[in-house]
Amino acid sequence: MAEPALLEAAGLRLSLPDYSRKPPFGAAPTVDILHGIDLALAPGDTLGIVGESGSGKTSLGRTLVRLYKPTAGRILFDGQDISGLPEDRLRPLRARFQMIFQDPQSSLNPRRRVADIVAQPLRLHGRASTATEARKQVDALLERVALRPAHGERYPHELSGGERQRVGIARAIALQPSLVVADEIVSGLDVSSQAQILALLRELRQDMGLALLFIGHDLSVVRTVCDRVMVMLNGRAVEQGDCAAIFAAPKHPYTRRLLNAIPLPDVDPDWVARTAENELGETLTMDVKDSVALVTGANRGVGEAFVQALLDRGAAKVYAGMRDTGGYEAPDDRVTAIGLDVTDREQVAQAAAACGDVTLLVNNAGVNHNQPISADMAQQNAREEMEVNFFGTMEMCRQFGPVLGDNGGGAIVNMLSILARVNLPMIGTYCASKAATLSLTQGVRAELAAQGTLVVAVMPAAIDTRMGNMNPPPLEAPADVANAALDAVEAGEEDIYPGVVADGVSEGLAADPKGVEKQFAEYLPG
Amino acid sequence: MSAARIPPAGTPGGSILSVRNLHLAIAGRRRHTPILRDVSLDIAPGEVHGLVGESGAGKTMIGKVILGIQPSRARITGGSVLFDGADITHLSERERRRLMGRGLGLIPQDPMTSLNPAYRIGGQIADVLRLHLGMNRTAARARTLELLHDVHIREPERVLRQYPHELSGGMRQRVSIAIAFACRPKLIVADEPTTALDVTVQRQVLALIKQMQAQEGASILFVTHDLGVVAKICDRVTVLHGGRVLEAGDTRRIVEASQHEYTRALMAATPRHDRPGDLLQPVPETLTARLDEEALAYDAAYAAAGTHDG
Repeated sequence: MAEPALLEAAGLRLSLPDYSRKPPFGAAPTVDILHGIDLALAPGDTLGIVGESGSGKTSLGRTLVRLYKPTAGRILFDGQDISGLPEDRLRPLRARFQMIFQDPQSSLNPRRRVADIVAQPLRLHGRASTATEARKQVDALLERVALRPAHGERYPHELSGGERQRVGIARAIALQPSLVVADEIVSGLDVSSQAQILALLRELRQDMGLALLFIGHDLSVVRTVCDRVMVMLNGRAVEQGDCAAIFAAPKHPYTRRLLNAIPLPDVDPDWVARTAENELGETLTMDVKDSVALVTGANRGVGEAFVQALLDRGAAKVYAGMRDTGGYEAPDDRVTAIGLDVTDREQVAQAAAACGDVTLLVNNAGVNHNQPISADMAQQNAREEMEVNFFGTMEMCRQFGPVLGDNGGGAIVNMLSILARVNLPMIGTYCASKAATLSLTQGVRAELAAQGTLVVAVMPAAIDTRMGNMNPPPLEAPADVANAALDAVEAGEEDIYPGVVADGVSEGLAADPKGVEKQFAEYLPG
Repeated sequence: MSAARIPPAGTPGGSILSVRNLHLAIAGRRRHTPILRDVSLDIAPGEVHGLVGESGAGKTMIGKVILGIQPSRARITGGSVLFDGADITHLSERERRRLMGRGLGLIPQDPMTSLNPAYRIGGQIADVLRLHLGMNRTAARARTLELLHDVHIREPERVLRQYPHELSGGMRQRVSIAIAFACRPKLIVADEPTTALDVTVQRQVLALIKQMQAQEGASILFVTHDLGVVAKICDRVTVLHGGRVLEAGDTRRIVEASQHEYTRALMAATPRHDRPGDLLQPVPETLTARLDEEALAYDAAYAAAGTHDG
């Protein structure tokens, strides 16, 4: 990386109009394709861009060669900012960065002979003054991509898929560019033509000192031509680095999923059976060790237990969020206290900006007024419970979702209660706030699944804390609940009911929901 | 290249499908172009049989002959295709219709072209059930829901009312699988069913095909060019090149200890993400040229032997 970059992109964003949602009159709404991509490519470097359909990999390639104009961010080509250059000033530069398209059938003019197609860039950029001169260069180029001069007389439809792709390559290298962007150029080919094209790319790269941006969906193919790789998901780069290192030990769950999905040609009769478990019912897991956690309501009760459990399990850093940091004594120098009232949207946004390294979010803050709806203050109590338990959790998930996504997926733990599943008389408003937060948790889980974030709902019975100890025994120890929640994070469990009471209730609900309701109706505190 | 070199799957009577010395040529104005040359293969009940080859190897044509949908200019110039013991190469349209559905099914490469864009998903599946199994509307609807559930479609009631273009590629392929298995056929021809899909979706679709196959006990002829897919889901494999069977056998033997140079060359040309890229070796052109010559020499010998009846 000491070399100056040939191509550099910083904070690249792209929005395009979505014509599928265009109203009959008026403008089409825009849809965000790229959400801030950074990359650098030195001369002669190779970078693979991998992702599935809709990940934005093709749009990224097209933006980098300025077939699209980025909405925000910079593209530096050889030190020059090309992100906003008008077409007439781009044209001379275009000789130096070329693109090879996915489908040569549609990117080669069907009414022109191969020789004309390859000669066109030479003519446009004034590299060949006479027809003989052009033909001489074309023959050399065809030879370079292992085609015979006779192929120059044919039309694209008379060639095989592999040969057509060679024509695309010959046209792209005609002006001796320093960068070539190759977009899925082998995906339509069978094994042996694919291997030939890949070998050709390796050769050209060595002989011409080409920098190559290779876009593809198959990590195996990318490995054959690239030194470095960038994995894309939903318009973001989720992992970037050296191919050998990333493929040996992928960090992001999505990279792992992509790698696991590739059927390597090794006999393994159980492979599909393992898929049935892993993929048809997706599981994400996360190591608590070395994680960076943020715990809300961390100064007491279950929050305090979470901080301790995280430290015990080797978390790298813990942000202890609390409304008032005055008088808080951190149990370890890995703990940083931050003032955070989850009902204050401003404060939550500030925390998300300040704690950009968080990989594990524990939404623990909650209130319970322990009052029936007949109480005088019922309206106010209910609003406050919703404000903290529901809206507080929601705002935290909203602000930290992108942070977790940028940090490789991570996990969210939402501390709920068994009362999210079943109503306890006399504290109906609290139950309602927890039930709503359970629904919210399921929504968050579905929304963040694509970025690889595990979302855990923890539903214990009463816990032995200031908030829970007015309940009859048995009460759960806070440390047990915190550890059960972290176990769930490591095992990839989504809904857990720690303790015998909660577990019994959840089983009872599955078997006989009416029966459980009746039991709870008879249970009146006090 | 005689068929005798290929070990049969069991006794010929034990095979659900037995292709015997099949020859096929495309009729031209002046001459016939041979496409399949003395192809033999056997599929046992419950077996997943991989048919591997590159484009032009004739693998798709074999599938088409089995289903009776080869182009009209294709002439079967020798051999037979025995399904459940009976030759199915020269069936009348009526006999063919009776065989489809309950006997044979198809999972196509591109469901967008095999599903009718003008009809809802529910109707298309129900049609198959009513035509082949004579179900009434209510029974067909119930079975349709069950099938969609079996292929892990989360909201079957909603999908029933949707049109093909409203579904993703993976979902459409799930629907095709549901249709293929709808009448519990004995053999399904799967023609590159995952080539157009993203890798994670491919894995799901492969798992589904295998799951349905185990549940319904059907045999599958799995046509593909991907040795990786073969290694993961096929019990036995036949390797084709230029319309000829080069070798056949248990997947493990073919993948790990192939007897044929071409199969080994295909393996070396398959990229792997767990190995450095410079280990990739294209299939040597001298090898493919030699195989093409062998095929032409075979044609000459076949014509000289006078067995050509086209």
